[in-house]
Amino acid sequence: MSKNNQYEVLSPWAEADTVPLKGISPRLTSLEGKKIGLFQNFKQASKQMTATIEKKLKERYPGLKTSVFDSTDQNVTVIETDKKAEFEEWARGIDAAILLVGN
Amino acid sequence: MYNTIAVEEMGKPAVAVTNQTYLVEGGSAASGKGMPGVRLVWDSIHSEEWVDERDSPERIEAGVAPLLDDIIAALTRPLTAEEKSPKKKEAEKTSRLIFQGDLEEVNHFFYRRGWADGLPVIPPTEEAVAEMLTGTDLPADHIVAKLGPRKGKATVEKIAINAVMAGALPTHLPVLIAGVQALAERATRFDNYQDSQGSWVPFWIINGPVRNDIHVNCGVGALSPGDIANAAIGRAMGLIIKNIGGIRKGIEDAGSFGNPGKYTMVLGENEEESPWEPFHVERGFKKEDSTLTVMFPNVFNWTIPWGTGAEGILNPIVNSVRGFGLFIIVVPPGTAKILSQEGFTKNKVKEYIAEHAASPPRFRQQSSEEPVRMPPKPNTDHTMVLVAGGPGGVYIASGAWLQWQEYVTKKLELPKAWDKVVAKYKNLAPVYAKY
Repeated sequence: MSKNNQYEVLSPWAEADTVPLKGISPRLTSLEGKKIGLFQNFKQASKQMTATIEKKLKERYPGLKTSVFDSTDQNVTVIETDKKAEFEEWARGIDAAILLVGN
Repeated sequence: MYNTIAVEEMGKPAVAVTNQTYLVEGGSAASGKGMPGVRLVWDSIHSEEWVDERDSPERIEAGVAPLLDDIIAALTRPLTAEEKSPKKKEAEKTSRLIFQGDLEEVNHFFYRRGWADGLPVIPPTEEAVAEMLTGTDLPADHIVAKLGPRKGKATVEKIAINAVMAGALPTHLPVLIAGVQALAERATRFDNYQDSQGSWVPFWIINGPVRNDIHVNCGVGALSPGDIANAAIGRAMGLIIKNIGGIRKGIEDAGSFGNPGKYTMVLGENEEESPWEPFHVERGFKKEDSTLTVMFPNVFNWTIPWGTGAEGILNPIVNSVRGFGLFIIVVPPGTAKILSQEGFTKNKVKEYIAEHAASPPRFRQQSSEEPVRMPPKPNTDHTMVLVAGGPGGVYIASGAWLQWQEYVTKKLELPKAWDKVVAKYKNLAPVYAKY
């Protein structure tokens, strides 16, 4: 009610449940001898960045192996698509991942 | 970000490398998924538009090389205690009644909290919100959906509060509730539209008898300012996206330039003057149903016929249509009648466009082995033809350069006392002075 031009107002900001929090995975001690996954998000810069990172990592760690996952869909979470099984198989086969957002 | 989290959830350490634009948005996304510790490395390479296969390897290397140490560290640096076990966040506690002040003080308070949109808001008092709630029979504490990365609870009351702020009427509330339901559908790809640089605009299309009940402009200047329904419905949805969904410009909304359509973009189809069946009937609804459809374009074009007759109308549309995505083609009633008289139904218009539109050269497959990035041409399933506006020209909204996105249409649920609510506001219409 406007009393003497005063307005008592309700908050438009919605409540939200707290999301249960999870820690991230333990890190590697070194990349030497590991298999690193490289994920390209299908934006045009990501392929070039992936190739460069792959090259630079192998220069630094000659024993390094790599595996590229080329997401053929833009702006999607792959596990919510029909590529879920393929993505999970790729992730199972690597020791760590670098995910390029090529925007 | 979500792909990075998916890898982490499989027990593998991961790092996301992204343009600095996405740093804050990435943080919100990670927190929203319950993994705030996800490691990010940001690069200074310009956005994708500056980098493609024609760029020199040296340029790419110059941008990427400085990141290498950070990327390696992100995968090898031991976790902190917080990264291992993030502290549980206390639930946000906000008072229901949040502030008291005069009109200016209320507006400044809301603006400083990031709850407004740059324009003055109507103070959402208990009385104003109670009046707004006469637009529905749903209880005020009913949760219509959880929206956005926050998973904010879109209760009917919160929708009504934002509706009051936007200047909406109680007769708009059923539309807003349907809008929230639509955004909650995965098919809209609403979450991805907001985190893109593309500045996508929620384009709301209204069909059915409600258009006339609440004075939705379907005719001349429908997308221009001047009509409460077209203005306030879109504006309210924008405030809902922000204050319930938690999607804020420059934070979770990464749109590079933004778009004035984010204030409002609401159109009614001119079903009365159309020679074709309305869009919602095409979608399987009854003519007497009232519906709301949403899609997210970011390219808008206006063109005029190159000549008389159907081909004169359709060829400029074909020329204006980019190769893929979702399209809304809006033709005025007179233009629709010409097309109809020459045997064009809505489907035939769509087929003509699909057949004659060229795919952009950059996105043609180089070889049969190369995966198709997207359907190279518009297809009839993803082209909407509406009759509205006028008297001349053709309006094209396009975009949705994403796969997995569909138009989403929701039926409006009206309160039992709808006629009474409509009657109260029926005569609220502008009368322009003649000069």
